[in-house]
Amino acid sequence: MNRIGLLLRKDGLILRRSPLLLGLLLAYPLLIALLVGLVAGYANAKPRVALVDEDGLPRFVTVGGHRFDVDKTIKRVSKDVKLVRLGRDEAQRELRSGKVVAVLTVPPGFIATLKGMVTSPKLEVQTARGIISSRVDEQVQALVYGLNRQLQTAYIATDLGYVRLILHGGQGSFLGREFTVLGLDGAEILLRRASGSQARQLRDFIRDARLALSQTGTALRATARPIEIQRAKSRGRTWALSADVQAYALGLTISFLALVLAAGSLAAERDENVAGRLARGLVSLGELVWAKVLLAALVALALGLGVSLVFGAIIQIGNVTGGEPWGRVPLLALGLLLAGAALGAVGALLGAIAREARTASLVALLVVLPIIFLGLVPQEIVPAAGWISDGLPFIHAVRFFSAALYDASPWGRLLREALWLCGLGTVFGLLARIGTRRLLA
Amino acid sequence: MNGRPPLLAARAAARRFGSRLALGPTDFELVEGESVALVGPNGAGKSTLLALLAGALEPSAGSVERRPGARIGWAPQRPAQYGRLSPRENLELFARLEAEEQPERSVQRLLEEFELPSDGVLAGELSVGNRQRLNLAIALLGDPDALLLDEPTAALDPEQRQRLWERLDTQREAGVALLFVTQHADEIERHAERVVALRDGAVAFAGPVAEYGELAPAG
Repeated sequence: MNRIGLLLRKDGLILRRSPLLLGLLLAYPLLIALLVGLVAGYANAKPRVALVDEDGLPRFVTVGGHRFDVDKTIKRVSKDVKLVRLGRDEAQRELRSGKVVAVLTVPPGFIATLKGMVTSPKLEVQTARGIISSRVDEQVQALVYGLNRQLQTAYIATDLGYVRLILHGGQGSFLGREFTVLGLDGAEILLRRASGSQARQLRDFIRDARLALSQTGTALRATARPIEIQRAKSRGRTWALSADVQAYALGLTISFLALVLAAGSLAAERDENVAGRLARGLVSLGELVWAKVLLAALVALALGLGVSLVFGAIIQIGNVTGGEPWGRVPLLALGLLLAGAALGAVGALLGAIAREARTASLVALLVVLPIIFLGLVPQEIVPAAGWISDGLPFIHAVRFFSAALYDASPWGRLLREALWLCGLGTVFGLLARIGTRRLLA
Repeated sequence: MNGRPPLLAARAAARRFGSRLALGPTDFELVEGESVALVGPNGAGKSTLLALLAGALEPSAGSVERRPGARIGWAPQRPAQYGRLSPRENLELFARLEAEEQPERSVQRLLEEFELPSDGVLAGELSVGNRQRLNLAIALLGDPDALLLDEPTAALDPEQRQRLWERLDTQREAGVALLFVTQHADEIERHAERVVALRDGAVAFAGPVAEYGELAPAG
């Protein structure tokens, strides 16, 4: 067995004899993955929005002959937000303190304008400043869209009532004023008694107008909803079994493990006072770093395969469609080795800098969370986070796993991410090799 | 140096730790079969010189020369071993790293010679004395031509000290050179031929034991 092999076997033996450490290394990242999942779930929870009623909304409102139960209507359309009725001052206070994410104000005269059906009444929206304000905007827009959908029917019915008056004539009212309309039918009857070319032209016009107006109902509905969404029955995996969750869970787990393990075990060589003994010709500093990188890679491989086998088994037992839980395992194994090695090189660098096993483990824990969260921030939202994340192995590991497990043609993406992981591993490994001289001081 | 070629030589070797000078430019030679005591107060640079000669540290200035093919055993003051490996596992690991031809046999011999428990107990669970013995046993792996020992008897009781010196004398009889740090005057008189005294990172005295004995009471 060569020298790196001997060190690897030694580290394996020591790891096996530290069940508490091993247990923590396995349980901690899984716990973090669970917490990240819960936070992601919370992100989908309904935001609390204050409803300030300055118009004194009645229990029922009649618009265009349609009677609306105001509370029920609001409840029906506010599925994505939790709407709470508050006074103006209280709403402002809660918005400032972040207890509500937005304030929706119904201004005075809203219902009168709505009933008039001539101009659009306006709702005032105030959102909190912060990273979720855009999402709150979307939710409030969805709420107003829902209300508009409810009112469209009433508006269309009212407009069609006026069209019917023009067609057939009769009694009507507008803004409280009653009036009588002759209608095209009445006009045609009157024209029957008339003759000549002018009367004929008027009769032709009435026929054309009747034909055109008969299509008004369909046209109005189409104008109100140029594109309509038809919701098909849900298919595919649940969120918890999605490709992203599996890729992120794997990335997160091995990041914790590889960083902490490599950092701790390299610094432990100095704690045990063995670094000097090894460095005097028994093992070169480069071989020492290599041994830690390989240790991280092999443990990442074992743990990553374990996690994906459990995931695959759940998918198999649950008869969930999509993805390649078994066929792509060799590709996944390659990714786990590369990612484990690159992350191990980062860990070795941290261990060399910290020089003490406890400090190194703590530093690794402190460093791993920002690395992971940088990878979770969408590049489109914070480009700088994306650039920094590109310089660290985590996000490339996640992309590799995602492509290996789920892409139909993964080769281009796999090659790109594998090169990233190799490049980053080499750079961090070289830095760790330079830093390892600190262990001898 | 008795006309013998040096096994180890420090040529103006110096070592800094950050801004602190641990050892100023120092010249030193160790030849085959001789026994040299390295003495001096705490912080004089004794352990640093030993680590430089062992190759565990690189000099910040100057150089350390080792005769090609010479094998050096080193036992630092604080035991250098893995606390979560048993004495046997520690010895086997270092025996293989030292490229011992028959590691199992060497390990068994050293375990018996140093009366160390082989299995069932981890090095970290050993008494201070046993840890020090394991430290010395590891230094003897690989049939060294020279042994560099940093206060090898500091944690040993009188009986263990005596047995250790018996073992080291046997090594010396076999031609192994010895450079040891000690605070015990009797060890210098009994086991050293030369003395090198360091003070504030510089050589304050280098010469035969008899001359050092004459200077020591006055100094």
